Amino acid sequence: MKTSRGAAILAIITAALLILPLVVHDTFVLRVLTEGIMWIGLAIAFDVIAGYTGYLNFGHGAFFGIGAYTIGILMMQAHLPFWVALPLGGVAAALTALIAGIPTLRLKGAYFAIATWALSRAIQQLALNVEFTGGPDGMRLEAFLNPLFFYYLMLITVGVIFLVLWYLLERAPFGLKLKAIREDEEGAKALGLNPTMLKMQSFILSAIPTGILGGIYAYWITFIDPSSTLGDLVSDQAVVMVVFGGMGTLFGPALGAILIFAFKTIFWAYLSDFQLLYLIILGALIAISVIFIPNGLWGTLVKRKAVARPQQKPEPASEPAVLSAVAVPEEGN
Amino acid sequence: MMELLPQALTDGILLGGIYITIAIAFSLTYGVMHVIDFAVGEWIMFGAFTGYYLNKWTGLDPFIFLPVIFVIYFGVGYLVQPVIHRVLSGTKGNPFLMGLVFTFGLAIMFRGLALTAFGFYSNSIPSAFSEGSFNLESIGLTVTIPTVRLMGLAYAVAITLILHYLLKKTNFGLGVRALAQHKDAAGLMGVNAKRTGSYVYGIYVGISAMTGVLLGCILSIGAQMGNEYTIFAFFVVVLAGMGYLAGVPWAALLLGLVQSIFMIYFNPSHTLLAVFVILYIILLISPRGLFGKGV
Repeated sequence: MKTSRGAAILAIITAALLILPLVVHDTFVLRVLTEGIMWIGLAIAFDVIAGYTGYLNFGHGAFFGIGAYTIGILMMQAHLPFWVALPLGGVAAALTALIAGIPTLRLKGAYFAIATWALSRAIQQLALNVEFTGGPDGMRLEAFLNPLFFYYLMLITVGVIFLVLWYLLERAPFGLKLKAIREDEEGAKALGLNPTMLKMQSFILSAIPTGILGGIYAYWITFIDPSSTLGDLVSDQAVVMVVFGGMGTLFGPALGAILIFAFKTIFWAYLSDFQLLYLIILGALIAISVIFIPNGLWGTLVKRKAVARPQQKPEPASEPAVLSAVAVPEEGN
Repeated sequence: MMELLPQALTDGILLGGIYITIAIAFSLTYGVMHVIDFAVGEWIMFGAFTGYYLNKWTGLDPFIFLPVIFVIYFGVGYLVQPVIHRVLSGTKGNPFLMGLVFTFGLAIMFRGLALTAFGFYSNSIPSAFSEGSFNLESIGLTVTIPTVRLMGLAYAVAITLILHYLLKKTNFGLGVRALAQHKDAAGLMGVNAKRTGSYVYGIYVGISAMTGVLLGCILSIGAQMGNEYTIFAFFVVVLAGMGYLAGVPWAALLLGLVQSIFMIYFNPSHTLLAVFVILYIILLISPRGLFGKGV
């Protein structure tokens, strides 16, 4: 019942998104929607390692930037076509995750958070100072002016990302193993799991879609530079979207991404100096979410629904407690 | 090029002194509260700006204000810590993870507030010590030591000694060390974890703010300076071994020397990358730091 209803809702949303460009002909709206969809993908990818596994990757933006720069370099210097370069963006992100993960994922989460955050700064400095990346001036790609193409490309890519991650994290044993690591890593090891290997797989799984989305972004926007693709804002926004929306779920980050991106887009149009205010709001939102809604919006909504359900029908005095005890833990995650 | 080596080594030691001040209180906080404070750079930045404006309004030398700034920011840290304590003590989700996220959020918010209040421009804090320098000559080699950097090294030594005394020779220090070892057992022995944590966090924020004033005199201040010092704090602490306080001075000096030599003999613009590679190698070879005593 729950699954079929969810599937029906998803089908309706998907159909609406597919049909939308036929109804809306405004290029600006199409571009805004394209970027919003991209952020859903970025937030979901961040949650794989942060929410499901419990290891915070504060350098998430680095993989986005690596994907963007890989596309830029391969298309503009090696002259490869887009469809050949795009998968290589994901491969480059995966390789970076593999290399960065080796020394850090064996250790406690603090090391990983520090190392990934430092990694993003090191890569940004590299991009600023190396000639083949264009240095501080960035790179320009050939313009392919087709908003419809990028809308559908982004939609299909994020759709595939969502389905693959949904299967791996919510249906396959892989997801259960990651959650076991998050809840009790020593216990997971005692059960026979290999936490380091699983964390590595999770990290790479988080990096690949991020790199691919970075590649699409580069081709779409046609200009990349260290501050726009490797700067703090990609990581910062990914963190707030996931924490605010709900860590350890797929719908939470998507919800967080939609709300925050909508908020940013609307206010940016009205406030000329919103960028600084936006930083304050981002940081405050992260801090407030941690304190007051640790499960995020989605976690809170789902939990509330679960708690409300047993009370809707009259039950003998002894049974409601049992129902609540059973229902809440199941829905809580 | 060999004639530059003495100057490089001297500069490295002076730079290491700066890193000691940046990292030592941070390491103390991690050891006791087990929280990685991503806002360490922002506390330094706020301290720098406070020193800047106090100097601007009064005309007095910024070094005079160090105790004032410590008191102010000790109070700030004392008040902020209960919130962090609440996050770390939460039963929902992963408390440690939430602590990381919370301080990450604080850092972003502080950066936004600072950019709003102070703008994007850089400044420096003038001091009577800014212009002097000592010149040492021996067998044809010359070494120049700026007075203000020497003040920085002196400050680093002083902070290290004071913290050592505080932790080793006082009842408060005994409580802190007990808390670092085992929170619940310390509680059973009468140590108030919450209050002790507040004092430690207050000390950490106070020292960080004082360090900010120092850096403002030696280098420059800007609303976006925080990230750079957060990275160096992290590097030193990881090299030293997370929570191992005695390792901090040596790790800081090593980092300062490596960076100084790298700046002179290699490409200065790749310094951060070089430091990151060192961090990577250390984590690969000796994950618990140079001395293998990290948490």
